[in-house]
Amino acid sequence: MTNQLDLEAEIQRLLTEHASTAEQGITVQRRENMLILGGEVESAQRRDEICRQISAHFPDVEITCDIGITRAQAPTDVEEIS
Amino acid sequence: MIRVAAVGDVHVDKDVVGRYRPALDQLSEVADALLIAGDLTRHGTVDEARCFTQEFGGLGVPVVVVLGNHDHQSDQQDAVAEVITDAGITVLEGTSTVLELNGHRLGVAGVKGFGGGFAGACASNFGEQEMKAFVNTTEVIAERLQSALQEADCDALVALTHYAPVPETLNGEPLEIYPFLGCYQLGRAIDSAPTMLALHGHAHHGSERGRTPGGVPVRNVAHPVIKQAYNVYQLLSAETAADLVGV
Repeated sequence: MTNQLDLEAEIQRLLTEHASTAEQGITVQRRENMLILGGEVESAQRRDEICRQISAHFPDVEITCDIGITRAQAPTDVEEIS
Repeated sequence: MIRVAAVGDVHVDKDVVGRYRPALDQLSEVADALLIAGDLTRHGTVDEARCFTQEFGGLGVPVVVVLGNHDHQSDQQDAVAEVITDAGITVLEGTSTVLELNGHRLGVAGVKGFGGGFAGACASNFGEQEMKAFVNTTEVIAERLQSALQEADCDALVALTHYAPVPETLNGEPLEIYPFLGCYQLGRAIDSAPTMLALHGHAHHGSERGRTPGGVPVRNVAHPVIKQAYNVYQLLSAETAADLVGV
């Protein structure tokens, strides 16, 4: 059984190394009885797959997903470099 | 005046095609070139590279990229670079290109870069073969960036990497993983030439702004950091473009 100290590491490795996710930018923070996932990804499908993979591999872990979808709008400003 | 748009870590696959396009269709109105700081794809496959060229090709301005660590994941980085090059996009790896823009020559020198850490907390070329190979990789790549920067004959010089050249733009990332996010040798290479701006990605939780020890402005343009399709930087002019608000 995975102990709590290893759990966050195992989840981060799963999200990076599993072909369906390949995400290195997801944070995992522990609260009393749950893990909170943070960070941003490029699509809702990727966010949903992250939660699905964690639930499939760690069915006893309660997760809360705060992962956002990175906005992709055009900029409205320019920075002058000097 | 030269206006350069930049973004990194776009991680294109089928599910992303079309997301950037509305903003990219406006790009030629606000920028003269687009530089992309690596992690063009999710797993570095040829199919994903084709998705990338579908999304970022045909913009009406030159596009220059470096690959990132994700683009190496499937060990198909040469094929990925070939697909992107065939689409008319310039791929840099220890090389430079000079673009003629608005009567000015914009030089861009690029490498993927590598980890190793920063002053006071960096890996050394000592001990196990694996560690020496790690540090040697870092140093060889940085030396190639230095040569590419120094050989570019241009009016404005930009360094483009995936890994970070300074720790300031990693602020927000866990300190423990800094050695996997960049190395001081890239900053040293950037300072060895008259570099005007250094752009990198890779650090999704990092910060946008920093400077090299020599004072070169560094910008982390990872998509989750800039939170828009691309940033625009203006070089070689005191004037701000009329259609954008100066910041």
